[in-house]
Amino acid sequence: MQRKPLFTILALIMVISMVLAACGTPATPTTEVQPTQPPQTGQQPTQPPVESKGPPFTIGISNPFISSEYRTQMIAELIEVNKEYMDKGLTTELVIESADTDVAGQIQQLQNLMAKGVDAILVNPSDVNGLNATLQEAVSKGIIVISVDQELNVPGVYNVGIDQKEWAKTSAKWLAEKLGGKGNIVLIEGFPGHPANVARMEGVDEVLSQYPDIKVLAKDTGKWDEATGQQVMSNFLAAYPNLDGYWTQDGMAIGALQAVIAANPAKFPVGVGEGRCQFLKLWEQVLKDRPDFETIAVANPPGVSPTGLRIAVNMLLGKQVDKSKLGGANGLSFVIPVPIVITKDNLQEGLDICKDKPDAYLLDGIMTDQEVLDTFFLK
Amino acid sequence: MKRFSWDEMMNRYPAFFAILLLVVALIINFILQPNMFARDTLNSNMRVFLPMILLAAGQAVVILGGGIDISVGGIVSIVNTILATQVGLNGSPEKMWTYVLVSIGAGILAGAINGFFIAFLRLQPIITTYATSFLYVGFALFILPNPGGGIPAEIANIYRNTTPLGLPLAFYVIAVILLIWMYIRSTRFGNYLYAVGGNAEAAYETAVPVTWVIFTTYVASGFMAALAGVAITMLSGSGNAEIGVPMTLTSITAVVIGGTALSGGVGGVAGPVVGAITLGIIQNIISFSRIDTWWETFVKATIIVVALAAPGIINLLRRKKV
Repeated sequence: MQRKPLFTILALIMVISMVLAACGTPATPTTEVQPTQPPQTGQQPTQPPVESKGPPFTIGISNPFISSEYRTQMIAELIEVNKEYMDKGLTTELVIESADTDVAGQIQQLQNLMAKGVDAILVNPSDVNGLNATLQEAVSKGIIVISVDQELNVPGVYNVGIDQKEWAKTSAKWLAEKLGGKGNIVLIEGFPGHPANVARMEGVDEVLSQYPDIKVLAKDTGKWDEATGQQVMSNFLAAYPNLDGYWTQDGMAIGALQAVIAANPAKFPVGVGEGRCQFLKLWEQVLKDRPDFETIAVANPPGVSPTGLRIAVNMLLGKQVDKSKLGGANGLSFVIPVPIVITKDNLQEGLDICKDKPDAYLLDGIMTDQEVLDTFFLK
Repeated sequence: MKRFSWDEMMNRYPAFFAILLLVVALIINFILQPNMFARDTLNSNMRVFLPMILLAAGQAVVILGGGIDISVGGIVSIVNTILATQVGLNGSPEKMWTYVLVSIGAGILAGAINGFFIAFLRLQPIITTYATSFLYVGFALFILPNPGGGIPAEIANIYRNTTPLGLPLAFYVIAVILLIWMYIRSTRFGNYLYAVGGNAEAAYETAVPVTWVIFTTYVASGFMAALAGVAITMLSGSGNAEIGVPMTLTSITAVVIGGTALSGGVGGVAGPVVGAITLGIIQNIISFSRIDTWWETFVKATIIVVALAAPGIINLLRRKKV
């Protein structure tokens, strides 16, 4: 029996952990999450109220996807805005869990944040439902949970973000009108099933249903990736050389435009762009050769997350949210207005913003502490 | 004398190093997170690791038999989407257990398809399962194009909060896996498996039913992947056709960290199980060590590379000393 020692060691480890498990005091009283009776907002059921604890507060961030400018800018801005509060002694250093990971990985991120005893969690969820039970566990521990960027439908969890559907409708409507209500277009979407993408595509479908003469020839995913977007657009242009227009969204729009430039059709299709400095510069260049080129850039601001941080801090300070200002399925959504829309008319304005910014910079807007208080909190 | 025992340990117990690594990782994690052995923390960690433990155990069997299974993530996705669409958020427990059986059947079938191509048609395992991985993920996307659906929260909570005798459910599952593996190891099939993985031709010449042994490893892997799919569905409570995709490479990493050689015929299942836990613990260490955000991925990757290379490095140093 040559394997015996191995199992002895394993058994030993199990015994040790058993002993440790028995000795260790549970981090929190075993709170069973009761999904049938979701905790209502404001009155966290299990733990003593958060208000009893004074500043400085610790805020945790959970981000499962790092390979995009949006997320990079988001994290950098969160750190920056938090500094403001740190200087006032209101918060401690952010606890950031940020790495490319899957649903299980993000559950682990959230559990680790809970184990670290944070007072509030800002989560950019990777999945519409996959985190529900974990987030409810956090809520039941008296942690303020805010889903930033993507709207979740979990009782007790706040949402802070732009209205993704409206956001997509802005550019879809613009496209439909520029085409005069008729023509052949293609759609390039982000990750199918990603909450933001689902909401956006719903918005696009809604707009297009009002324009029966606009025909969607094809739809494919560019995975919010520049290179993939370029590849998909190239394929579309090869298949439909007389394309009238295309709708796409951030991350992929630069790739799509580059594919159009490379294919160089007689007439450039009317396309949807993105609120990124690199895109605006490319746009400016295209205009030099083709002054009648039309596109639109609707900012998708990473600044919603730092705005969410401001909301979290003010809630932790015990300020009362004006519930009438919130929307969403649970009435727990803080809807942040889109800060800027760039069309041909105000392209220069966008280029001015980009002057001292890196190419990857996304047109942005962070609400100030005062704006947050005025907009969402009771006086 | 001492040198002899180290080499002997390394050679005879491929999981030895994996366990050493786990102990080191546990100690570091414990220093950084003193409450990690608290009942709640232990359970919440183990329930996240369990899907990968199951997946790694199945992957280990294939790798021992000289193959590799890149389609396991796809099988996880199929199981997840079947459960999320067929049971639904308001489904009854009976429905859930029925579809658990159905999806395990689907996993076995998917494994059998892999096994058929590889064992009977003699196709390359890596290419075959790479191709079928798309087949399976594609099928999962067909079942559930957009993430959503799910299983009832009460059933998910069985998985999340069951701690018999105060120990995480995962411990019992691990114990069962290891007991079954010990049994298999002692059977004729166990010997055949190592023979095929070590040298398939020689095994064939000594009348080992090579084709069937290889076929069986893929079926076993499909079965374990289905269990992993059930586990991760109960962990997340929801459906997402892409859920299994990132798990494939992690399962192979867990096997290798567990001391089971990709060349086949060397190692076992215990090591990969330990490896899967170690990978999870490494993530915790990163999380609790307050490494600067921008360095997290780099540091994690470095630790994994070092962990993978450590046995080789140690052997190299020992040889130089002589």
